[in-house]
Amino acid sequence: MDEFNDNEITKLLRLKRYEQPSPGYFENFLHEFHRRQRDELLRQPLWRICLDRARDFALSFNLSTLTSYPAAVTAVLVCAAVISLRIYQAPQPATVAAKDRPVLVVPASTEPEWTLASPVATRVFNTRSLRNIKESAQTHRSGTPRYVLDSVPVSYETTFKF
Amino acid sequence: MRRLSSSSSGQGFRLLAKLAFLAAAASLSAQQTPESATSLSREVKDVFERCAKAVVKIEATDQHGELSGTGFFVDPTGTLYTAYSVGGEAENVTVEFKGKKYPARQLLADLRSGIAMLKVDLASPALPIGNSDQLEIATPVVAIGYPLDLAETPSFGMIAGFDRKCFGGYFPTKHLRVNLPPQRGEGGAPLLNFNGEVVGILLYSFENNSCYALPIEAAEKIRSDFVRFGEPRHGWIGANVAEASAPVEGSRAVTKDIVKDTPAAESGMKPGDVVLQIGRTKVHEPEDILDASFFLTAGDVVPITVMRGSEKLTFSVQADFHPASQPRPQLLAAPPLSNRAMPLNLQSAPERTP
Repeated sequence: MDEFNDNEITKLLRLKRYEQPSPGYFENFLHEFHRRQRDELLRQPLWRICLDRARDFALSFNLSTLTSYPAAVTAVLVCAAVISLRIYQAPQPATVAAKDRPVLVVPASTEPEWTLASPVATRVFNTRSLRNIKESAQTHRSGTPRYVLDSVPVSYETTFKF
Repeated sequence: MRRLSSSSSGQGFRLLAKLAFLAAAASLSAQQTPESATSLSREVKDVFERCAKAVVKIEATDQHGELSGTGFFVDPTGTLYTAYSVGGEAENVTVEFKGKKYPARQLLADLRSGIAMLKVDLASPALPIGNSDQLEIATPVVAIGYPLDLAETPSFGMIAGFDRKCFGGYFPTKHLRVNLPPQRGEGGAPLLNFNGEVVGILLYSFENNSCYALPIEAAEKIRSDFVRFGEPRHGWIGANVAEASAPVEGSRAVTKDIVKDTPAAESGMKPGDVVLQIGRTKVHEPEDILDASFFLTAGDVVPITVMRGSEKLTFSVQADFHPASQPRPQLLAAPPLSNRAMPLNLQSAPERTP
């Protein structure tokens, strides 16, 4: 700074006022900028480029927490653990409970789609304890069900007893 | 020119007014002609719109395979009635409500009445309980059910009779014969009066356009038993009744025999007693016994009035479990006055008929 006094600096600034860029400078400026940027970029290894782009992508979604590598690793591990637990705890296919079912001595009905009924003489009307069938209630149903409307009563009174 | 234009526009307006008047008159006359029909359909539509939300489709599996029927909520906690054939012996019961399927569990299944009660764990709408005793022949009724794989459907009909005997046997209690066309899948559907109250449960088809419904009082008796004891408790006192050759005090129901070691025998009832009244049910014919018997509850004491010769006697009898009921838990000790003959007026001579 000692080599230049204020007068010299003033002269230089005056000269700068008349300085002009070479012809085509502004037209080529953007192209030259991109070229130099690519050259700078290609000096880095490929993995670094991918990492930078992934980080930029994450930052574009404002996921700042993902920029923390320990947090990201933890999140991935937790997700993997949850998914594996759910796979192992998936319910077994529901089995239709056939045990404790009384064997009915009902003759085959002539209209099986229509009725379940049979004379009470062949059956005992009893009450059963509560049955929790929640577990198997999600059983997949397929095919056409039997649409119920009896054509004969499920029980009869044989005589006038009381 | 302006006057001419004004005159022509006025004529056009009058013409339009006349046409509008004629159209309105024609429309009114067209509406008035089937007034009764539209009123009826409006009633049915009103009942349907009010009640259909409490009617559900029930799907289940039983030993024959998959089945589909109808049920309806009777309280806001998800308790519903259906037919025994739908929910009585089924597993994997699901209830379709508001487009979603919910698992249901069986509360009770009563073969004698032909109904089952299920429970779904949700807050539900509920149909109000009506009174089937107010029904008369030709009273209009509406059933709402799920025929086949279709959506909820109203069916309109009328009460055709009150039967105790059909299909060569006897119903356990009076049933409502309804002239409406039932369809498969509507077993367990509610039978509603025009107030939107349940008066019966559709159970059996009968010929093509008729069906039988259990009166709602019978279903409520079963529900009452369930609330009190956790199970249906059909009562029985051990008397067989036949038809007398001549009426006595308006009754033809005479006890044919008394089963040994039963409440009837212990109370002092004898063969030959003409039954006049059981509880609040007056007996005129042997078939009236069915109604009275159905509403007996094991463990309850019921007054039974009979004519023995010229004497009118009232017995307080504690009903036992119906022989067909299982299991048969031990009843509590009978009250001191139960199962003993008790003249109508204990402090005076037995009442005698003139």
